[in-house]
Amino acid sequence: MSALLQVSGLGKRFGGFVALDGIDLEVAEGERLGLIGPNGSGKSTLVNCLCGTLANEHGTVTFEGRVLNGMPAHTRTRLGLARSFQLPRPFGSMSVADNLKVPLLYAVDRRAHGHLTAAQTEERCEELLRLVGLVDCARKFPRDLTQVDMRKLELARAMAAEPKLLIADEAMAGLSHSEVSDIVALLIRLNERGTTVILIEHIMRAVMHFSQRLVVLVSGRKIADGKPEEVIRDPEVERAYLGQ
Amino acid sequence: MRNPTFFAAAIGAAAAVFIVAALIGNDYLFFAGYTVVQYIVLAAAWNMLGGYCGYVNFGTAAFFALGAYTTVFFHKAYPLPIPVLLVIAAGVSGLVGLGTGYLTLRLRGAFFSIATLALAVVLQTFVVNWDYVGGSRGAYVIRPDSVDVFGFQLDYVRYLSLIMLLLAAVSVAISRAIERSKLGYGFATIRDDELAAEASGVPTLRLKLIATTLSGALMGMAGAPFPYYIGYVEPASTFGLTYAVNAIAMPLIGGTTVWFGPLIGSILLGTLTQIATVTISSAVNLLLVGLLLVGFVIVAPNGLVGLIREFLRAASPGRPDVRSIGLVAVASYGFIVGVLEVVFSLAALTAPDATGLMLAFAGLVLACLWIVSAYGMMTLQRWSPLMATIAFALSIVVGAIHIWADRTAFNISLWGAGGAVAIVSLWFLQRRYVQQLYRPKLTELEVAA
Repeated sequence: MSALLQVSGLGKRFGGFVALDGIDLEVAEGERLGLIGPNGSGKSTLVNCLCGTLANEHGTVTFEGRVLNGMPAHTRTRLGLARSFQLPRPFGSMSVADNLKVPLLYAVDRRAHGHLTAAQTEERCEELLRLVGLVDCARKFPRDLTQVDMRKLELARAMAAEPKLLIADEAMAGLSHSEVSDIVALLIRLNERGTTVILIEHIMRAVMHFSQRLVVLVSGRKIADGKPEEVIRDPEVERAYLGQ
Repeated sequence: MRNPTFFAAAIGAAAAVFIVAALIGNDYLFFAGYTVVQYIVLAAAWNMLGGYCGYVNFGTAAFFALGAYTTVFFHKAYPLPIPVLLVIAAGVSGLVGLGTGYLTLRLRGAFFSIATLALAVVLQTFVVNWDYVGGSRGAYVIRPDSVDVFGFQLDYVRYLSLIMLLLAAVSVAISRAIERSKLGYGFATIRDDELAAEASGVPTLRLKLIATTLSGALMGMAGAPFPYYIGYVEPASTFGLTYAVNAIAMPLIGGTTVWFGPLIGSILLGTLTQIATVTISSAVNLLLVGLLLVGFVIVAPNGLVGLIREFLRAASPGRPDVRSIGLVAVASYGFIVGVLEVVFSLAALTAPDATGLMLAFAGLVLACLWIVSAYGMMTLQRWSPLMATIAFALSIVVGAIHIWADRTAFNISLWGAGGAVAIVSLWFLQRRYVQQLYRPKLTELEVAA
């Protein structure tokens, strides 16, 4: 397995606050990686730096052998690095189906050098809606969706960019037991089709079920990286989560 | 309709309007019509950035004046035919749009708007101090009497009107083409959420630059024939607030998210201000525009188009049917006649004698009743049919009083027509199938009973 994403010495500070401090991380192609950490540990900042929403100050992010530093977010998405947002950010004036068409038109079509026909776009959109179970909502507007469907839409839009690496930032917060299982199953299915997935989550049941490898961030540092069962028994991780 | 077909249809419609106006043969019609059509172009251009991308531009006057002063410059340096001037003005304003966009588009919301306002001030100062184009004393541009178009001798004002009509057709066609294209999707994502747009692969900065360039170029083109139309341009009025305010008010009143919103808004508001200029005074224009703008922002923030869409969605969730479209037609009529009635009543107030005052008062009441019942019909979910019915019934009474007070032949036929429409509307409102549109409200009442 070769490394799809390579992060070395990544650093980011907001004024005097060090949000990320020398993060080193490798993600292999086809892997399912879980990323956990207490609130404020820098998980979302890491995602933002990986995806170009924020610019990192130190270190490099390498994706498929290309250094991404300074590259705008939309170019990264086109290269195959997509993310969902922690709080869903749908395009409010568009229908659910149109929401999914945006990445198809702007990322997938671009990769196909403009060869994606209107019929193909419709077809892929339809397929995605079926995959996440939003077919009945295709013509609805995001404001009419339930919280679960909104999160599904957020995930579906990230998936619509047909990424090689998908970063799901707390896609399950606030969902019920069975809804969490639904989304985990969805992500595993996506992974089986060849997409590498990084899952950021607080719900341990979901993380443990999903991850092949687990990374723990605390106060902007990586304190553990390894097999999930071993990582959660790590005394340092226990201390960070439970306190002593 | 496909884009080329629509484009041809728009040009055809523009030509038809021109031919009808030429058959009527009134020179004033062309003179007033030019201003209205000019606002169609400005509103459509503003909407490309303001409506589609959500970036409110207060600098419409700057781009408009840039086009006008391009013409003034060439009129002095090397007179060129208007179509060539249009192209040059588009180039100049488009470039300024691109440059301004590059410098200011990193600003969001109010900050971007302030920057565009600053652009207008900077350009105005520049023109005031540029003696060659007249400086602050202005410049005279004498227009020829007529022009030779493909062998036809055409009066110059008519020629300018024709050009402006074609330009309006082009800008409306461009708006519509954008809205239904990949670019339109991209613009809408910028309006909704720029961060999410970037994450979906939309190159937001590039799209915003396209929007500012296109919008600026069209505004410049709208300004290019202006010096020939008006005959004298000076900075204070060419950079005037009127253009900026109208270019914002028209799309907002019509509806900003669809191409026909600015079209409806500019025709409605443009005609209204022209009527007010003649019947009251040119100073009341901006007051009317301001009042309407405030009213719409409160009552219908998505403009007329948004109000009608919302209504159709509530009334018939599937497809719009005859009864809901009938209601829309009646409501639109009530609304437009109501607004016009306000304008004419204000005109009567300028000559204050006892009868005039009473007529104006009755007219204002009538106008309010019509507008209110139109609004009531459009918001079925919140209004009971009773309210719209009462409003219409009252309008018949007030209308009758109006006729009685002012028994000239013209008014009797006018108010007779108004009363007839009110009676037909009343009958229509009482139909069982129309009442069913109010079902949510009715069942609520039944449950309460």
